[in-house]
Amino acid sequence: MTSVLERELTALTSAARRYDARHRRISRIAWPEGKRMAVNFTADFDAMLLRRLLNEPPMQLAKGEFGGRVGIWRLIALFDSHGIKATIFTPGRIRELYPQALRAAHASGHEIADHMWEHHVPRDMQLELDHLQKTGAALSSIIGRTPVGTRSDHSLSLLKQEGFIYTSHECADHLPYYLSDADNQNEMLNLPFHYAIDDAMFYSFAWLGSGNAAQRITDTDRVFDMWWEAFLQQYHAGGYLNVCLHPFVSGRAQRIDMLDRLITRMKAMPGVWMPTCETVARHCLAVHP
Amino acid sequence: MPWKDGYTISGETSLLDSEVRWPGEQRCCFSITVDLSVASGPEGITEADLASPKTQFGLREGLDRVKDALDRFGLKATFATPAVMARVQAHTLRVLTQEGHEIAAEGFRHEDVSALSREDEAERINLTTSVLSDITGRRPEGWFSLPRQGDKFAGGTISPRTMDLLIDAGYAYFGNGLADDIPHYWVTDAASGRSILTMPYYYHYDDQFFLLFPSKGTGLEHADSLFRNWRAEFDAQYRRGRHFHMTLHPYASGFGHRIRLLETFLQYVSGSPGVWNETASAVIKHWRGLDPAPRLEPSIWRDYPGSLS
Repeated sequence: MTSVLERELTALTSAARRYDARHRRISRIAWPEGKRMAVNFTADFDAMLLRRLLNEPPMQLAKGEFGGRVGIWRLIALFDSHGIKATIFTPGRIRELYPQALRAAHASGHEIADHMWEHHVPRDMQLELDHLQKTGAALSSIIGRTPVGTRSDHSLSLLKQEGFIYTSHECADHLPYYLSDADNQNEMLNLPFHYAIDDAMFYSFAWLGSGNAAQRITDTDRVFDMWWEAFLQQYHAGGYLNVCLHPFVSGRAQRIDMLDRLITRMKAMPGVWMPTCETVARHCLAVHP
Repeated sequence: MPWKDGYTISGETSLLDSEVRWPGEQRCCFSITVDLSVASGPEGITEADLASPKTQFGLREGLDRVKDALDRFGLKATFATPAVMARVQAHTLRVLTQEGHEIAAEGFRHEDVSALSREDEAERINLTTSVLSDITGRRPEGWFSLPRQGDKFAGGTISPRTMDLLIDAGYAYFGNGLADDIPHYWVTDAASGRSILTMPYYYHYDDQFFLLFPSKGTGLEHADSLFRNWRAEFDAQYRRGRHFHMTLHPYASGFGHRIRLLETFLQYVSGSPGVWNETASAVIKHWRGLDPAPRLEPSIWRDYPGSLS
C-alpha cells in the first residue's frame, strides 16, 4: 500500500516538475526608458466564424456578424482616437469576409496577427501546417508580410518554422514568459491574457458552449471597476496587462464608451506604454532573451 | 459584402453614424418591444405556462403597470404576440391598437420552428397572420422570434426558411436581428437582392435575462445591472445619433422595484431632447426611404480542401 502511494507521489511530483520546466519566467521586465508598464489591447476578430464552426443556429451567426459590420470599425476608431496601436488576431478566412476592415486596421498601424485559419487547429500536423500557411498568405495580402504573432494552440514547432516570434494564449504568469512544448523544445515568448480581462466572459451569452444555468451577463460599470483595479495592480508592480476584446462583443456602443473612459484614465497615469503585441514581444526578446 | 451564404446575412459594413437620419432631424430613435409571449422554452407556450401565477401576473397587473409607464411618458411600443396569446388577450390587443401601439406576430405559440418542414412553417405563419388580423382588424407588418428564457441561445430561433416565408407572406420586417444596432437587411438571396428589413435586438437590453435569471440559484436578481445597461447604451446611441432598443416582458418588468427602475429610465429618455419614439413598423417605413436596398458586393470566398465550405 505504502509503495503504491509512494509511486503516486513520485508521478504527481514529476508531472508538476515537467510542466514547470516548460516555463521560463521573467522576474522583472525592464520596460523602455520612461515606461513603467505595458498594456496590449487585443481584438480576436473572428466575427461569426467560430459560431459557424460549432454549427450554431442563424441568430448566433448574426450576433457574430455584428463584429464584422459594426464592431471592428468602432474598435479601430477608438484605438486611433487615443493613438493606441492594437493587435487584431484574426482567422485567415476573415480576409474573404471583411477585407475592408482588415485593410483599415493595417492602414492605421495596428498589428494583424494569426488567429488560426478558421478558428481551430487541425489534429493532423500536415493539415495544421496547411492552415497556418493559408492564414499567412491571406494576411500577407493585406499587410505585405506574414504575421509574427498568434493567439492559438498551434504547435510551437510549426510556429517557429513559419517565423512566428510570439504567442498570446494563456496566463501562467502576469508578465510575458517563455513557453516550451511537451518535449521541452521550441521555446517561444507568450504574452499572457487572463480570462478575467476578456469581454466575452462578462457579456457573451452561452460563451464556449456554457449552459443557461451558467449565465450572469453584466454591465459595463462593473467591468470598468474590475479592469481598472487589474490595471492599477500591474501599474504599481511595473508589469503587463493584455486586454482581450471581441469586436462582436465590445463593439456594442456602450462598451466602446466604457473602453474610452478606461483608456482615458489609464493614459492619465505617467509611463503607460500601449503599443502592439509585436512591439512588446520584440522588446522582451531583445532585453530578456 | 463580400457576401457568403451560410455565414453572413447582410453587407460588409453598417451605415456610418453620419448616414443615419431620423424624421424631423430628431437625434436618436428609441423603440420598445413588449413581448406578450409566456413561453418558457423552445416548445413554445404550453398549458402549464398559461396556468401559472407568473403568467397571471403578466396578463393582468404586470401589463397594466407597463402600460401605465408607457402612457405616463406618452411612449409607443410594438407588442410581439403569438397567435395563442392574441386569442387569450383579444380585448387587450384591440385596446392597444386603438391607443396607437403596434401589434406584431410572434409565431403560433412562440415555438422553435427550426426543425419544421417548409409546409408546416408556412401554415403556422398564415394561421398566425389571420388570427392577428381578425382580432386587430389590420394585418401584422412585423414578425418576431424573440428568445425564451429556456432557450440554449439568447437570440431567438428561426429556420433556414423563415425569412423567405415571411417575405412570401408579405411581412414588411423581421423584429429581432443581432447583426446590427440599427435596422438592416436580412438577405435571403444575394444574386437577386431578395431581403427583408430587420429591426435590431440585443439580449443585454432584454429584461428577462437579468430578472431572476437563470431560473434556479441564488442572487439572480439583477435589476440594477439591467438599468445600468439600458442607460449606458441609450447614452452611447444618443451620442452617436443611432437607435436604442429595449425589450420588456410584463410578467418581469411589471413588478415592484423593477417597474420603478423602468419608470426612472423612461423618464430619463423622455427628458433627452430629440428622441424619436415610434413603433417598429413606423421605424421600418422611415428606413425604407433612407436605405432602400442592401449594399452587397460579390463573394470572394473560395472553397479549399480541408476547410469549411
